[in-house]
Amino acid sequence: MVKYVVKRICLALVTVFVILSLTFILVKLLPFQRPIGDTSKQIAYFDNQHNLGYVYRFEREQTEYGELLYKSPSDHGRAYYYYQVPVMQQYVRWVGNIVTKWDWGYSKTYQPNVAASVIIGSRIGYSIKLNIFSVIVSVPLGLLLGIWAALKKNTMTDHSISTMVMIFISIPNFVLISFVMSIFCYNLQWLPSTWPPDSASGLTKVLGYIIPVFCLSFGSICGYCRYTRAELCEVMESDYLLLARTKGLTRRQAIMRHALKNAMVPIFPSILAEFIGILGGSMILESLYSIPGIGRLFVTALNYKDYDVLFVDMAIFTTISLLSGVVLDLSYGFIDPRIRMGAKK
Amino acid sequence: MKKLICVLMAVAMLVSVLLLASCNGKKGDETTASTTTETTASTTADDKPQEVDWDGSYIDEDDFKAYVKKDLADVIDSMVGQATAEQVTAINAAKTAGEKAIDDAQTVSQVETAYQNAYKAVLDCVPLYSGLVSYVGESQDEKTNMLGILERYAVSLGITGLSLFENGGYVMYNPRITLGTETYIVGYGFGLLAEGAITADLDYETNPAWKRYLHTFEASDPGTLNYWNDQGAQVGDLFGYVGAAFFTNFMNETKDGYDWVPELAKEKPVAVNDDDGDGVCTTWRFEVRTGADGLKYSTASTIESRAAFNNREVALEDYEYTFKMMLTQANGLYRGSELANTKTGAIAGTKDYYAASATGFNEEAWKKVGIKTYVEDGKNYFEVTFASATTAFYCMYYIASGLYMPLPQEFVELVGIENLFGFNLDATETPLDNSLVLGPYMLETYDADQQIVYKKNPNYVFADTKYAVQGIHIKIFPAATTDETAGIKEFLVDHFDSTGIPQTYLEEYRNDPRTRKTTGDSVFKLNVNAFVKGISLAIDRLSFANARGSIPSVDYLSSNYMSDPENGISYYVTEAHKKAVEALLEDTDGYGYSLELARDYFRLAMTELEAEGAYTPGTEGNPTKISIEIAWQYPQHEQNYHNEIKNFIETAFNDNSVTGGKYELEVTFWVGTSWDKVYYDKLMVGQYDIGFGSISGNPLDPLGFLNVLSSDQDISQNFTLNWGSDTNDPDVYPIVYRGARYSFDALYKAAMGQAIVNEGASEAAVAIEYTNIVKNEDGTYTGSFTLTPTLKDITTIEVTDVVCCNYERYYNGDGEYAEEAVEFDSVMKDDVYTVTFTVPAALVADYIDGSGTSEDPEGLTGFDLYYTITIDGTPTDTYYSVQDYFVLDAE
Repeated sequence: MVKYVVKRICLALVTVFVILSLTFILVKLLPFQRPIGDTSKQIAYFDNQHNLGYVYRFEREQTEYGELLYKSPSDHGRAYYYYQVPVMQQYVRWVGNIVTKWDWGYSKTYQPNVAASVIIGSRIGYSIKLNIFSVIVSVPLGLLLGIWAALKKNTMTDHSISTMVMIFISIPNFVLISFVMSIFCYNLQWLPSTWPPDSASGLTKVLGYIIPVFCLSFGSICGYCRYTRAELCEVMESDYLLLARTKGLTRRQAIMRHALKNAMVPIFPSILAEFIGILGGSMILESLYSIPGIGRLFVTALNYKDYDVLFVDMAIFTTISLLSGVVLDLSYGFIDPRIRMGAKK
Repeated sequence: MKKLICVLMAVAMLVSVLLLASCNGKKGDETTASTTTETTASTTADDKPQEVDWDGSYIDEDDFKAYVKKDLADVIDSMVGQATAEQVTAINAAKTAGEKAIDDAQTVSQVETAYQNAYKAVLDCVPLYSGLVSYVGESQDEKTNMLGILERYAVSLGITGLSLFENGGYVMYNPRITLGTETYIVGYGFGLLAEGAITADLDYETNPAWKRYLHTFEASDPGTLNYWNDQGAQVGDLFGYVGAAFFTNFMNETKDGYDWVPELAKEKPVAVNDDDGDGVCTTWRFEVRTGADGLKYSTASTIESRAAFNNREVALEDYEYTFKMMLTQANGLYRGSELANTKTGAIAGTKDYYAASATGFNEEAWKKVGIKTYVEDGKNYFEVTFASATTAFYCMYYIASGLYMPLPQEFVELVGIENLFGFNLDATETPLDNSLVLGPYMLETYDADQQIVYKKNPNYVFADTKYAVQGIHIKIFPAATTDETAGIKEFLVDHFDSTGIPQTYLEEYRNDPRTRKTTGDSVFKLNVNAFVKGISLAIDRLSFANARGSIPSVDYLSSNYMSDPENGISYYVTEAHKKAVEALLEDTDGYGYSLELARDYFRLAMTELEAEGAYTPGTEGNPTKISIEIAWQYPQHEQNYHNEIKNFIETAFNDNSVTGGKYELEVTFWVGTSWDKVYYDKLMVGQYDIGFGSISGNPLDPLGFLNVLSSDQDISQNFTLNWGSDTNDPDVYPIVYRGARYSFDALYKAAMGQAIVNEGASEAAVAIEYTNIVKNEDGTYTGSFTLTPTLKDITTIEVTDVVCCNYERYYNGDGEYAEEAVEFDSVMKDDVYTVTFTVPAALVADYIDGSGTSEDPEGLTGFDLYYTITIDGTPTDTYYSVQDYFVLDAE
């Protein structure tokens, strides 16, 4: 078992490394961001890029550094020639810094000169809290609705719940948040229309959680509900539950002791899967609701072409997703003892 | 320059001749080829133009001749205002003869020939200028006249593109705000902060101290207020609240304009070396405020080391230190590099100092920089020397930037230049801790990605009389990036104090009492290279702009550009401007739209295109298709604009009355992924018919902003909107000023400084030719320079030095730029100077030896010729550089 866990974790880390390497190389292979402006702006821009280590600056034309990015006007017969630093060279430096110094680089444009890991660190709390609250809200609600629908199978209640689930599971959360904000923030004005700043009062902060948590949870609630209903319905039609009833257990006892327990086997791992989904969904939602989390940071860093920040953010998302996958696999074994992890045939 | 970075981009265009020829009346041979290159015709062009008689044309003979004569009249109209009485008489005679020849012509090509002859005869009536000329010291009115003449040239040749709308429009303000004025002041605004007030609390704000702050938003957090190292506009805007400058603007007493007011300075600039008393010189000085005048720095930081600087008095040397910090290359500040390399308003010696400070502050090199501070008669002075002479106003204007706000060296060293006005590496210090300010506001809170809050700075020079608004709360509001209605939604529930009005809300709120109308700082235009006039006339700008809350425009310069920035007079309202665009508006709805005229010009265009063999007509059932592509910057531009523009153009052209169905015009589109794609992927490589964009220059210097229209890279500083017309050809379109003809470049240079003009064209003061070094038998090398002055009668040249530098040692060795003088002889014959120099054998041997530091020695050496050129009694020291090679073969 331990060997299996270690193996899965190692595989996850290798996957993280491959994904980050590919991301780094592909992003750096994008066309060089050229400046627009007159000579003074061009020189200023390329000098700045040179200082940041993205381009070489030579005083003679070079042939071995690829395409000439810019040549400054001649002064005393002296002109500067700018070439891009090879991507793989940047990559080797980048990996070397991470491995030897745990240095993920510095923000170049988004929050200039601040360590990328510091920027992530100051924002990850918001995203984690938001996602945890979403799970806390969505799991019980989803399970309850699913159980209720299963117990009332083929009744008006079941049909109503199932219809609502189908409708809301189809609506992306960024559409939902616009809709909800329109009603509760702009028309009724009950809730804040943007994430309250840290300096806001406690009540405002609590109110600030309602819309994003609700919108992040909605998809998950529907997912849990649908899954729980399906599993529970299947279990309730099984022979062993019939046996339980014939043994004299009441319906409630049969459901609580046998049906629910067995239905939960595939449902609990799905909670982790939904968590990964919530994490991805928060990227857009954080931007729309002005939440200073790492989801919004990802989009911002991409827009700013602040690659060091982007890579750390990417690493966080990738790592969480892959480790969640590992935990998901392992959880099967804990929930259902019949499933043996890494056992030899 | 305020919006320069948000500045969207710019664009240019190759001018299609055929249409232009029909508009301007003349057909430049060099441009005819471009007409069909970007259009897709189902037939190929013939090499030989065909003669078309009137039966085969799309326009009536009389109409055609009338248009051609009208163009001739327009050309003449552009000349007579500045021509002498004798010249006007001669022009009129040439016009009469030309019109008769046009009337007598029998075919399209004969009409064109007659027109060209008449055009040339008219031009010959005004002589081309030759000589040294400078109009830099002329009055603002004269400068405005020159601007009008140059604008007319650019508009007539289509270099300025087809303007669509200004980006001004409607702004809504919360009723709790009292604006400084209810009438928008061009180039200044409503005076919200400096002269306005907030008279009620904002209920939404939970912090009692902030309830009377101005509440606004930014779509993203720039993460720094370090304007010195920023490339965009956002940081400049945010820094603007805390920055102070030598000079600033405040609304005038009558609230219809603004005044220039010394802020950190105590007086307006006073000339130091204005020997001839014409108000134009290079060196200016003015008294500045220091701690003795009560000027103190402010910071709200609670970190002890930073708080110690709060209320620290400003020292005179702090003014100079800011320039030192910016211009020292080792500091790597973007704006420093820009300052060192700029040509407009360049400060003497900055470029050389920047180059000499790659490793840190260079005291010796700094002595040659035109920045000085000193005490005289107990007064603190700041003195600045520009690279070229300028007026008092432009001196004030060139250095009126918050970038030059003084900073104490100790503070900068304490926080570190890399952290200045920003976060430190571990973000434990925010911009609040790392800034020290003198402006109207100071940072109160900086919550990354959440909010930036400023409070009023009690130490500000005008704290008692201006800026009644107690603070500014800026919400970081990323939703505004993806949802253009996000801002107004927040405004309508009283979360923000001001907002623009998106198109979908325009009808509802255009006439709302909270709404005010503004002008724009940039004109969005279509930059075209085909069917210029017809397309221009086909676009109904009024309905297009009205539907979007923008301002319809046919102008190259927006309303914000000032012809008299000192007195706040917009160029837009001047007669010079009205004259320049008169021809564009004639017989239109006042915004350059006339469907009938557009169709006439399309008829004219197709007649000429067929006459030249560029197109072969199809039939009504199988028309020849012409395709025009519009390149848009973003998908939303295509979604918002394309169909309407396409409809305007196609409706005008495809009407059966134009070509009888023999041609069909189709307007397609291309969409970029970022704003610069149109410029680089389309316009810059000539792969476009129409490109969308806008460009903003300095609104206080519209004349200087014309530089981007020049085809001369030295004038445009390699950022041109013109890849078609040669703007140094005085015959392309007449530019007449004070009885003489100039090229665009020549008059531009004369207006901005000094021009050496030969036959109307701008030329270099001296043409230099270099003859490569040859090895002599004794091992020495001999080479020569030949210098031919442009204005021989008033030019003398004195060669002061010829030096050589071992570039290979410099590039690959110690990196030190070491020059060594060599012997030379200078001989003048027939006004041509020949300088022959000899490199001694020993020096050559040393050089070749030194080249050994290179992995691949080639004997590369630089030769600099230093000389003094005196034109009309004014000497200028300069140099000319070349590279050459010693022979490295084994001997």
